[in-house]
Amino acid sequence: MPLRKTICWVLLVLLGIAPYAAQADEDAARAILTEAILASSNDQVALVEELAATGETEIVTNYLEAWKRGDIYIFDPESKRIPIYVPEDEDAPALRSAIVVETGEVLVNELGEPVTVDPENLDQARPARKARKLFSRLTDLVGLNSANPDVRAESALKLGLKQNQDYLRDLLALKETEKDPAVLEALEEGIAVSHLAHGSREELMAAIATLEKMNSLAGLSALGNLKAELDEGQTELEFNADERAALDKTIESINSYLAKIDFIGTCFRGLSLGAVLVIVALGLAITFGLMGVINMAHGEMIAVGAYSAFLSQQFFASIIDSSKLALETYFLFAIPFSFVTAALAGLILERSVIQFLYKRPLESLLATWGISLILQQGFRLVFGAANRQVNSPSWLLGNIEILDITFGYNRIFVIFFAVIIVVGTWLLMTRTPLGLSIRAVMQDPEMASAMGIRIDRTRMITFAFGSGLAGLAGVFLSQIGSVGSNLGQSYIVDSFMVVVVGGVGNILGTVLSALGIGVTDQALQPALGPVMGRITVLVIIIIFLQWKPGGLFPSRSRSLD
Amino acid sequence: MKFSEDQRRLIGIALTAGVMFLLPALNVTMTPESFLHVSDFQLNLWGKYLCYAALAISLNMLWGYTGLLCLGQSLFFALGGYALGMHLMLMIGEEGAYKSELPDFMVFMGYTELPSHWVPFYSIWVAVAAVILVPGILALVFGFLAFRARIKGVYFAIITQALTYAACLLFFRNEFTFGGNNGFTDFKTVLGHDVFDPGTQRGLYLLTAMYVTSCMLFNWWLLRTKFGRIQQAIRDSENRVRFSGYSTTSYKLFIFVVSGIMAGIVGALYIPQVGIINPEEMRPSKSLEIVVWVAVGGRATIVGPVIGAVFVNWLKSYTTYHYPDYWLIILGALFVFVVLFMPNGIVGLPAQLRELWKKNQHRFKSMPKDEPASA
Repeated sequence: MPLRKTICWVLLVLLGIAPYAAQADEDAARAILTEAILASSNDQVALVEELAATGETEIVTNYLEAWKRGDIYIFDPESKRIPIYVPEDEDAPALRSAIVVETGEVLVNELGEPVTVDPENLDQARPARKARKLFSRLTDLVGLNSANPDVRAESALKLGLKQNQDYLRDLLALKETEKDPAVLEALEEGIAVSHLAHGSREELMAAIATLEKMNSLAGLSALGNLKAELDEGQTELEFNADERAALDKTIESINSYLAKIDFIGTCFRGLSLGAVLVIVALGLAITFGLMGVINMAHGEMIAVGAYSAFLSQQFFASIIDSSKLALETYFLFAIPFSFVTAALAGLILERSVIQFLYKRPLESLLATWGISLILQQGFRLVFGAANRQVNSPSWLLGNIEILDITFGYNRIFVIFFAVIIVVGTWLLMTRTPLGLSIRAVMQDPEMASAMGIRIDRTRMITFAFGSGLAGLAGVFLSQIGSVGSNLGQSYIVDSFMVVVVGGVGNILGTVLSALGIGVTDQALQPALGPVMGRITVLVIIIIFLQWKPGGLFPSRSRSLD
Repeated sequence: MKFSEDQRRLIGIALTAGVMFLLPALNVTMTPESFLHVSDFQLNLWGKYLCYAALAISLNMLWGYTGLLCLGQSLFFALGGYALGMHLMLMIGEEGAYKSELPDFMVFMGYTELPSHWVPFYSIWVAVAAVILVPGILALVFGFLAFRARIKGVYFAIITQALTYAACLLFFRNEFTFGGNNGFTDFKTVLGHDVFDPGTQRGLYLLTAMYVTSCMLFNWWLLRTKFGRIQQAIRDSENRVRFSGYSTTSYKLFIFVVSGIMAGIVGALYIPQVGIINPEEMRPSKSLEIVVWVAVGGRATIVGPVIGAVFVNWLKSYTTYHYPDYWLIILGALFVFVVLFMPNGIVGLPAQLRELWKKNQHRFKSMPKDEPASA
């Protein structure tokens, strides 16, 4: 209990501090804004510029826009002039609540009750003409003043892409004072793009060289425009052959860079799809590949795992007061919980039906299909026909960008997760006494039995383990889509294909074929679209099996069938 | 009086055919008030069941007698249905919702003229040829590839399932010019007769019943031939047959193509009776259902598939109507029960019970015998 409390506190503190620091800056910006709205028209220009200098992007963009549009009013009870924000909304009733500009909260009276106002009866605050002229420029430039280097870098690049001469001056000015290397890089890129349109000849050539050096994807379209203008003679510039060659070379080099990162991105997406397939198919590789049972209810074991994730989410939400904390932590519980529930379901299935069918694999297909129908309808009766939403913890959302390639956290996580599962399964199979008896029973049950291995129990554990792996797949699938009763159905055909292509009874084969199918699928998708891509993959698999009927790693044995 | 195995099969066929042809007779001769009357609606429903029965026979030829579990039977069925459906769509003419010569879904998707592969389907003969040839050629090509690579058992099941799944995804595409997920529907006439007319439906029912009967007779005849013997030998031990010098590949390929064509023809009989065909019909789960019909009725028997298909589908209609929430559970439990406790299906049930009786009869008979001895 103390440990859990400590963890809770640490999490709460971490989640709590950051917003407070930002709050202070925001309050300062709001105060200046309020002052500006109430100021005389002569002072407004200075105040608005001061406001922009705070770099509070959100406040500046939203409120200056609203002020210009005329959505800012002066609320004036007993001459205590309070600027308020009443959003324009044709459907809203005449009397509605308003937001106080200074605090950002709903307007209330002395007793703390919300006050509704009718904008028709209020004084509209109009910015002075001189100040208004500045607005669009200030909203564009505010990002450059932000305290957050990411915002500064982003807006520097965005301004550069506008290829506006005035902004170019601002960018050059910022370059003199900026210290942050990431922002400097963005500035350089932005300035180079602007130079393409407004620079002198030397600046222009330097810009082209810079963009080539930086492999600037953002500058690609500006370079393309420049080239088109030159081709059509729309510009006064005349390039000599060398300069022309430099431009062409730059465009080509950026394009090949683009192709390279596209390729890496495709590989990464393929790898993550392959990892999903590995997780889904690994359980099947054990029940079908090793045990020879065609478990059509494998998909429902996946659904059991996914619904377990849903249940643990609901459970955490009900016992932990902070909904945020519940969302962040339930997932860690869901992983083992889903494994256990799916393994239990598999255990029951094995004891009740499958143990009688080891000698009749084709009939195990029918019986387990019957089970799968029962379970699907069971899910619908218990959880309702509509899909259930399982929310992802924030550490699985978001993404990280390395060298212009976006890596989603959930994709990275699934690859990581798959590696752990595969290594764990491999260790279990090759390094433990249980694994040894599992392999012995799979190779020759009678001989294993004669050696004193309890084959009944071994089969039971193996099947439960395979089902548990399906449950783990379910937890992950719950993160990339909603959970429904036929969740598993959409994966069952694919997982059987993965196992067959990999070579039945071979875990390494399953992993390789899952990754191969995943990467092929992702590589075909951009050209053919998702559905045709899948169809092509299926056809490729059918043809592949012509060439290697036993899969990638066929099992070798002296027996005939 | 003892009958040979062969004669007993023939009697089974005759009985089944008798029941099939009795239904339309009851439909025509009995007055609606009568207990024995079969309404037009019911006759139509039975026509559908008989289509399923023929489909089950075609699968039984593969799974029951050759040991090839094919999960692509619904694909051949749907292809046959689509082939005739193209003709029926064109026969709607300008009576469709959009009053255009083009089928409604094409107007809807913005076609201005008929795609060229549709044009020949104005002729019924082209459509009939396609019903036979399309599934036949697909089975020939796919079977040739699969059997040559010696894909068998579970792998054959999975690879046929993959084929079906790929085709299903393809037919769901609107660009594939077969109506996307809506498929074909709204037919008005078949061979110039109104499809909604009870007379037309009765005719279609009779056609289906005759088709089922001839399928059973073909099956019966095949079992008497040398081909039938080899077919069953392949099921029991393919390697021995191969070592005895038979090319099992050609035998399997032949039966695969025949079965594909049989399924295709069923599709063509099915679609005017049901009035719709869409890619749902070729979902992999539909193929599994066919396997279940055969298993429930009795694998490797002639009338078993018919009984199984009719029974399961009747049960499905009954339970979906009376227990909409539980019918999947009832069906699923039935499959599990049949697989676990009735390996020979409904047809094998009497023999199974006789066996049970023989095994346990001493328990029933020994009681009266023992009593006088002790007295």
